Amino acid sequence: MLIPRFEYHKPSTLKEACEIKGKFKGKAQLLAGGTDIIPNMKKRIILPDSLISLNGISELKSNSVSGKNRCARIGACATVSSLIRGKFLLPYSALLTGLESLGSPLIRNMATIGGNLATARPAADLSPSLIAYKGKAILCSVAGKREVSLDDFFLGPGKTILNDDEILAEIILDELPACTGSGYIKLGTRKALEISLVNVAAVIALEKPDGVIAGARIVMGAVGPIPLRATTAENLLMGEKPSDGLFAEAGKAAAEDSRPIDDFRGSAEYRRDMVRVITVRALQKALHDIR
Amino acid sequence: MTQYHTINSRAPRIDAPDKASGKAQFIDDLNMSDQLHGAILQSPLAHARIVKIDTSRARKLPGVKAVVTAEDAGLVQYGVSPARYDETLFCHDKVRYIGDEIAAVAAVDRETALAAVSLIDVEYEELPLLLSVEEAMKEGAPLIHEDYPGNICAEVHQEFGDVEAALAECDIVRTDTFMNKMQNCAFLEPQGCIGHYDHRGYLTLYSSTQTPHYVQRTVAMTLKMPIGKVRVVKPYVGGGFGAKASANAMEMVACLLSMKTGKPVKMVFTREQVFLQARGRHKFVHTLTTGAKKDGTVVALKHNCILEGGAYASFGIATVYYAGSLLGGPYKLQHMKYDAYRVYTNKPACGAQRGHGGVIARAAWEQQLDVIAEELGMDPVEFRFKNMMNNGDTSCNDLYMSSFGMRECVEAVRDKSGWERKRGTLPRGKGIGMACGFFVSGAGFPIYRSETFHCTATVKLSEDGGAAHLYTASAEIGQGSDTTFAMITAEALGVPLNAVKVSSGDTDFGVDLGAYSSRQTLMTGFAVKHAAEDAKRQVLEVLADKLRISVSDIDVKDGTVIFKGPGITFRTIRNRYRKEHRGWTDMPDDAPLSFAEAARLAFIVKGTVIGQGEYRPRWLGGKFKGAAVGTSPAYGCSAQVVELRVDMETGQITIDNMTDAHDCGFAINRTSVEGQMQGSLLMGLGEALFEEVKFDQKGRMLNPNFGEYKIPTALDMPNVTPIIVESNEPYGPYGAKEVGEGAIMPTIPAILNALYDATGIRFHELPLTPERVYKAIKEKQCEAKAERGRK
Ligand SMILES: Cc1cc2nc3c(=O)[nH]c(=O)nc-3n(C[C@H](O)[C@H](O)[C@H](O)COP(=O)(O)OP(=O)(O)OC[C@H]3O[C@@H](n4cnc5c(N)ncnc54)[C@H](O)[C@@H]3O)c2cc1C
Repeated sequence: MLIPRFEYHKPSTLKEACEIKGKFKGKAQLLAGGTDIIPNMKKRIILPDSLISLNGISELKSNSVSGKNRCARIGACATVSSLIRGKFLLPYSALLTGLESLGSPLIRNMATIGGNLATARPAADLSPSLIAYKGKAILCSVAGKREVSLDDFFLGPGKTILNDDEILAEIILDELPACTGSGYIKLGTRKALEISLVNVAAVIALEKPDGVIAGARIVMGAVGPIPLRATTAENLLMGEKPSDGLFAEAGKAAAEDSRPIDDFRGSAEYRRDMVRVITVRALQKALHDIR
Repeated sequence: MTQYHTINSRAPRIDAPDKASGKAQFIDDLNMSDQLHGAILQSPLAHARIVKIDTSRARKLPGVKAVVTAEDAGLVQYGVSPARYDETLFCHDKVRYIGDEIAAVAAVDRETALAAVSLIDVEYEELPLLLSVEEAMKEGAPLIHEDYPGNICAEVHQEFGDVEAALAECDIVRTDTFMNKMQNCAFLEPQGCIGHYDHRGYLTLYSSTQTPHYVQRTVAMTLKMPIGKVRVVKPYVGGGFGAKASANAMEMVACLLSMKTGKPVKMVFTREQVFLQARGRHKFVHTLTTGAKKDGTVVALKHNCILEGGAYASFGIATVYYAGSLLGGPYKLQHMKYDAYRVYTNKPACGAQRGHGGVIARAAWEQQLDVIAEELGMDPVEFRFKNMMNNGDTSCNDLYMSSFGMRECVEAVRDKSGWERKRGTLPRGKGIGMACGFFVSGAGFPIYRSETFHCTATVKLSEDGGAAHLYTASAEIGQGSDTTFAMITAEALGVPLNAVKVSSGDTDFGVDLGAYSSRQTLMTGFAVKHAAEDAKRQVLEVLADKLRISVSDIDVKDGTVIFKGPGITFRTIRNRYRKEHRGWTDMPDDAPLSFAEAARLAFIVKGTVIGQGEYRPRWLGGKFKGAAVGTSPAYGCSAQVVELRVDMETGQITIDNMTDAHDCGFAINRTSVEGQMQGSLLMGLGEALFEEVKFDQKGRMLNPNFGEYKIPTALDMPNVTPIIVESNEPYGPYGAKEVGEGAIMPTIPAILNALYDATGIRFHELPLTPERVYKAIKEKQCEAKAERGRK
C-alpha cells in the first residue's frame, strides 16, 4: 500500500518542534523511529496532514545518569538498540529484557522508547517495566514542561495524557533502592518479531537482605486496554518473606486482577492462566535479580 | 566411483555475487521508460451478485488511461487443469471471495491508478456466505459455482486391493482424524509483472512466476492471442512454493491493459494481495483407518479426506488426488481405499504448496503409525524398517521405486541423532520423535493432457570456441536451478563451470513446464545433459575426422582434450587456431589441446555448434482413474528425527534439534541439496507450530501480513544436521532426483511424535500453538486428577 501524502517538518531543536506541534496540534503527528506510525499510515489508520520528525533533535537522544539521587534520564528518541548497548540501564534488568525482546534487530535500530510509550499499544514491551519502576515522563510544549507519573500516562489503546500540542521529551527512572530487583517476561508464539500475548514486569524490594518484601510492583501488558497494575498481588506480597508458595498466591491474584479479552491471537482464558504463570516467573526473576 | 570435475561438489551459486550485491534484477527492479501502472478492484464481499458496475467516475480521473471490466476482457474460462477451468479474468455475474477481481485501471502512476479504482462504483446484492465445508456441503446450500452441485469441486474414489476384507483380518485397527488450517506459501517476493504489447502485436509478459510455460498458454488463451506471439520472461524470483505455479489474474490484467493502451503496464501485489491470491496449502481433514498384524506388518489403509478449497479450483483437482496417492509409499501396503472431496467455500482459493497434497496426510499417517507401533510394543524405527519398500518395489497404486534409499535414510537419522540412547530416557517435557517422507520427482504428466516434451535445452558453443551458453526455459526461483544446470552442462561438455553461461526462464528458449512438482533437476537436468553431450559429440566428430582417429579415442575433461591413444599430434590444429586468434591474451601454447581449440575447429568446419536435448518421461503405469496424479519417473524419500522441549506451564514448544536424511538420488550440488532440506524443515516447522490463515464471520482475512501470520524466525530454527543419501536413480541425470518438496514430508509428524514423547499427548489439530498445547496438557492433568479422585 502507498503511504498517503503529508507535509514534512524537520525541526532541529525541541523548542522549534514544540512550536510546530503547537501550531498544527492534532493535524500533525510526531515521527520518531516510524515503526509504528508508518505502517499505520499505510493502513490508513492514522492520516496526519503533516509529520514532524524528531530525528534532527539531538537533545531528545541524549541519556544521562545524574543528580544527587543518580536517576537515569532517557531521551524519548533514544533507540531501543542504543539503550541496549549503552550499559547505563544494566540495573534495570526488566526494562533491558523488554528492550531485547522488542521486534527484531532491524526494528530495534529504528524504534524509540518514546515512540513505544506514546503509541500506547496495550501489548507494548517497554511500558510495563517503566511503570513498575515508577518511571516519570517529561512532557514539553510551548507553554512549558510538566512531569507526570507513568502510572497516569496511559488512558486507553492508542490514548495517553499527552495533549495535542505536547511532546514527550524524557523518561526518568529513579535509582533503584538497595535490595531491589526486577524481572520481565514476554509470552508470544514465536521467539522474535512477536506481539506479546501476555507480558508481566515485576519489581520487588526487600527490607534488608533476606528480609521481608517492602515494596512490590507488578504490571501486566496485553490483558487490558492499558498496562495494568496487579494491585491485589502486590498487596499480598507486602511484608511477607519471598517463597514459592507466596509467589504462587501472587500469580493467582494477578490473574484475578487481569482483564483479558478473546481475540484471534488467543483466548481470554489462556491469557489469564498465563498471567498466573508468568507473574510467578517474573517475581522469581526479580528475586534472583536482587541476589 | 566415477570421478567428476564439477558436479557433486559445493560449487558456489552462479547468481550469488549478483544477489549478494543487490544487482540481481527482480520484477520490482524492472521499469520501462513509458510504462503505466495498473491497479485492480477486488471484491470487498465474500459472496454477492454484481448488480451494476459503473466505471464512469474512474474514467474521468485525470491520468487514467484505461479502465477494463469483464466487458473488455471477455469470459474465457481458465484455471490450472483444463478439467476445472472455473475462473474468468473478471467477475461478471457474482463475486465468490473477498479479493475476487472485478475491474482494473491503468494510469500514469500507481497513486492515480489506486485512486481510480476507488472511484469505480459497484452495486452488490449480498448472498449467503459459505465459510466452512460443513456449511457448503449442507443439503440445500446455495451454489458458489452453478455447475458444481453440492459445492463439490472434485471427488475421488479409489480402491486398490480389498480394504474391508483386509481390515477384518488385522490384529489391530485404528481410526484417527487429523486436520490442519489454511496456509500461505509465504515467499518473500510478492508477485509482480509488466505486460508489454508492442507495435507489431507481440505480447511480452515479465513476471515473477514459477512456470513461464503455463502462464504463456493461459495468457494466450484468455486474451485470445496467437500463442506464437506471447512470450513470458521470468526475471529473478524470490520464492514461490506453489502459489506462483500458475497464471494469476494480475498477469492477464497487465497484458490486457497494455493491449488497450499500447504501453507497458506494471503491477505489483501488496502483501495483503499475496494473501488474497492465496493458492497455498488447503485445509485438510483426514480420517485414517489403518490395520496391522501383530508382527507389525501394515496391511490396509482406509482413507477419507475433505479439502476446503476456497472459491476456485486452482490446483485443487491435483491436490485431492495427491492427498491420497502419496500414501502409497514409502511402505509396502497391499490394500488402500481413498474417498475424498474438495469443497468450494467463499474464501480465497487454495492450491499447491510445497509437498503438494501430501504433507498433512503424511503428518496424520506417520503419527498414527507411531501409535500403532507403540500399541504393538515396537520401536518406531523398527516398525518402519519392517514395512518400508525397497528398490524395485511397486506400490499398490502402481508407483514404481526405481531407486529407493529409505533404509539408508532411517539408519542415518537413527545413528546421527543418538536415537537409541535418547529414546525413552528423556524427562517429561522433553521428547524425541521420528517420521519418514515420500514424494514424486516430477509429475509424470503436464497439467494439461499433452504429448509435449516436458523440457528442451539448447547448448550453443560460442563461435570463438571459448564458452558454452545454455538456453533453457526452466525457472530459477531461488532454489539454485541455474547453478545446477550450469554444473551439468560443464560436466557433460567437459569444460570448467566458469566457461558456461546460463539463460533461463524465457519461453523463447524452448519448452519447460517450470519449477513445480520437484521436477527440474531430474527432467530439465536430463535435457540439459543431453544437449551438452550433443554439442560435445559434434565437436569430437570434427576433431576425430581431422585427426583421422575414432571419436571413442577422444574425451574432454575440464576444458582439455584427452587422447586415449599415444602419439597423436595436433600441431596443425593449434597453429590454425593461433593464427586466427592472433593478439589474444588467452592463447594456448603447451600441450594439451584445449576444448576451445577443438570447438573453434568445429565451427570453422560446420558452422555454429548447437547441441539439443529434450526430456519426456517414459510411459508411467496406472490405468485407473486419477493414475496420472502421483506417477513420476522417480521417487524421493526421507527420514527425520526431531528433539524438542515443551514448557509444560505455558505450552510453548522449542525445537532443539533436527536430524534429516534425504535420498536425492545423487547431489549435483551438495550445498543446494542441503539448502532445500534446511528450507523444507523450516517451512515444516512453521506449519507445525504457527501458521494459520484466519478469517472473521464475514470471510475477511484477519492476518494477511507477516506480523500476524507467523512464519519461523531465525531464532525459532534449531541447528539442523542434514544427511544426503544417494541411491543413484537410473532415470535421472547422473542419478539425480528430487529434494525440493519431499524434504518437508517428515518434519510435521516428527514434531508430533516428539511432542507425544514429551507430553504423553497426541495432537490431532495444527498448528501446535502454545494455547492449544497448554489446553491439552491442562485437560490431561484434570483427567489424571479425576482419575486419582476415583481411586
Ligand atoms: C515489525 C515490527 C515489530 C514490532 N515489535 C514490537 C515488539 O516486539 N514490542 C513492542 O513493544 N513494539 C513492537 N513494535 C512496535 C514499535 O516498533 C514500537 O512501539 C516502537 O517503540 C515505536 O517507536 P517509534 O520510534 O518507531 O515510534 P513512531 O512510529 O515514530 O511513533 C509512534 C507514535 O508515537 C508518537 N511519538 C513518537 N515519539 C513521540 C514523542 N517523543 N512524543 C510524543 N509522541 C511521540 C508518534 O507521533 C506516533 O503516533 C513493532 C513494530 C514493527 C513494525
